[in-house]
Amino acid sequence: MQAMKRHRLFTGTVTIAAVSAFVLAGCAGPTAGSGTSPGAVPTEGGKISVWFPGTDPTEIALVTKKIVPNFEKATGAQVSVTYVDWSNISTKLNAAFAAGTAPDVFGHGPAAVADFVTNKRVEPLTNYIQQLSEKDRSDMSSALQGGQVNGVQYLVPLSMQGSLIMYNAADFTAAGLDPNKPPTTWEGVRAAAKQLTKRDASGAITRSGLLLPSQPIGRQQTFAALLLSNGGTQLNKEQTAAAFDSQQGVAALDYFTSLFNGPDAVSAGLGANYINTPTAQQPIVLGTASMEFQTPNGMQQIVAANPKMDLRVMMPPKFEGADKGYAMGGAGPGLMINADSKHKALAWKFIQYMIAPDTSVEYTQGIGAVPPRSSAAETSYVKNSPILKAFVKAAPQFVPNPNVPGWVQIRDTMDKFLEQALNKKMSSKDALTQAAAAVDKILKANG
Amino acid sequence: MSVVVRPSPKGARGPASVGGAPPRRISNPRRRWTNASRSGLLFVLPAALYVLVFQLAPVLYGLILSFTKYSPLSRSGPTPIGVENYARLLTDADFGNSLLVTGRYVAQVLPITVAAALGLALLVNRPFRGVGFFRSALYVPHIVSLTAVSMVWLWIYSQNGLINEILGILGLPRQSWLLDQDTALNAASVMRIWMALGSNMVLLLAGLQSIPKELYEAGRVDGAGAWGLFRYVTLPGLRPMLVYVVAMDIIFLAQGFAEIYVLTQGGPLGSTTTVNYLIYTQAFQYNQLGYASAMAFVLFAFIAGFSLLSIRGLMGRQK
Repeated sequence: MQAMKRHRLFTGTVTIAAVSAFVLAGCAGPTAGSGTSPGAVPTEGGKISVWFPGTDPTEIALVTKKIVPNFEKATGAQVSVTYVDWSNISTKLNAAFAAGTAPDVFGHGPAAVADFVTNKRVEPLTNYIQQLSEKDRSDMSSALQGGQVNGVQYLVPLSMQGSLIMYNAADFTAAGLDPNKPPTTWEGVRAAAKQLTKRDASGAITRSGLLLPSQPIGRQQTFAALLLSNGGTQLNKEQTAAAFDSQQGVAALDYFTSLFNGPDAVSAGLGANYINTPTAQQPIVLGTASMEFQTPNGMQQIVAANPKMDLRVMMPPKFEGADKGYAMGGAGPGLMINADSKHKALAWKFIQYMIAPDTSVEYTQGIGAVPPRSSAAETSYVKNSPILKAFVKAAPQFVPNPNVPGWVQIRDTMDKFLEQALNKKMSSKDALTQAAAAVDKILKANG
Repeated sequence: MSVVVRPSPKGARGPASVGGAPPRRISNPRRRWTNASRSGLLFVLPAALYVLVFQLAPVLYGLILSFTKYSPLSRSGPTPIGVENYARLLTDADFGNSLLVTGRYVAQVLPITVAAALGLALLVNRPFRGVGFFRSALYVPHIVSLTAVSMVWLWIYSQNGLINEILGILGLPRQSWLLDQDTALNAASVMRIWMALGSNMVLLLAGLQSIPKELYEAGRVDGAGAWGLFRYVTLPGLRPMLVYVVAMDIIFLAQGFAEIYVLTQGGPLGSTTTVNYLIYTQAFQYNQLGYASAMAFVLFAFIAGFSLLSIRGLMGRQK
């Protein structure tokens, strides 16, 4: 009887251990990568896996049916491409890293880079970049800056991103404004918006003079653009503490809040996500807005679908007294190399191919984005598009969000307090003071 | 426990009966795992392993994680921190708000959906032309993905959506259903009521059809009217199914996520941030899996508590 009990105990223990090992095996993380130097692995042949973020069918077709097959043909390598929708890319990468199955190369936005760096999940690319020609590095300097953390390159942007104000020239003319001389200051934009705003008999706005993004994430970006254009910054120079709770910050948030509130409001639909609505439902297309913030991709789609509309792009305005106007943007999504990849040389070769001048133009043209190379301004793709020309011209005025660990949480925290101010639940000063205290805690927690 | 021992086909040694005598019961524990029990265990084993590996083990692992600090990106794995996550929850205003939002969401969807489903079940529990179509039509929302349904309702509630277009035709002002702090959760609740109505109706209909007709006949003989039959025959007969429906609705509604993610993303001003949505942001946006696991176990405790209370409340009356 005792022997049988011992046998059962042993069997049970072994079963539980086996099951636990099986379950927990998926949770164990791999050890740190060996840090293979560039060029240590032969690049002829080989196989790498690449995850791109997004679900744009045009981009997927372009990458999987043209760009990648051309790369495979040129190098003899095999590339396994997976597209993961933006909302799931972080979750799936986290799970893959935890399980030790992360791809050799993966794409993400600049806002995510610092967290990967803190956890030593991505390969430093500064040495790889140094191997590019001086001409190449200079050509991509604006874009490359957005992929750095503490001066070290980790992400190589495939495009530039940003938002500028798009305006309807016909509305300007009808309101007695000169569409050839759009405002250059935010005060001027506000005054023009007042003239452009239309109301019904009850006083409700039927056409917004100006629409700035006020939905989650969008409102943080709008506030940051206003703050920068008023001479402020989001974090201090060392990126160790919040700096947006300044006089410039309060003035910027007051301006943002006044657009949606009070008898002189010029914007309707506080919190509405118009940016992501289909082209046919864009406020500027429906005639429910005369000026709206838009991305280059969004603007191109709107213009292509409405060729008869005279739609133009405004350069980033500044506040009176400030040196220069800025817009949120800069480096767009790009590629990183997994620190544990066993094929880093081939992975870099793939990134190099993606940012080569011809491939870069082909890729950005295919997805309607702004190219990361300044030399792209001379290509027919940019020259033939007034919108892209405007974005390339404004490129030096695009500023990215800070690349600090915990940025997503910082952004959402700022967002929460900005929403309180925009809805008049608290004053701009109180909202920014409380947001700064919360952001400081997050920065401290993330070291 | 005892087992039945069949005669040995070869008349070999052992406790087999001889001459067709009835099998006798023995209680030798060594024989327990030799016949039917062993086969039974083998049949149960795959399902048991599935439950153990894919359901119980992750729950147990989640419980362990709730006492740790853990980011899936970290190479060091979970770091034990005791009850720190649970202590932090006590002072987390966002978590407190999300509990209130979740409670309000359950409280305003549950009574309406159960009452309306009961009314519809009573309606379709009688023969009339097209009853099959009516039943099927009401059940359809339940078989469509909650995310897909939410996308449709996102358009219905949008500035240029169905409801605002109808309001415009009627000369009424358009409303920002999902952008107003006062209406967003109500709007999500209406969608959820519509979604849950069909499945609840089918379950309650099954409950109604299991009530013996003789009870109604006896009631009528005793002079009971429609209300009397409903009060003293239908409701008591339906109680087990009602208990099931209420308990399951509490469990599903308290875990509301997909509709919130699609319709409002927790806004405006946190007015639709349910606990599950908060767990999602903590776990997958901020990589704080330990803290998110602690939230999940507090939510689990609340759901279990309220489900048990509702079961005891409804079944207690039966006693």
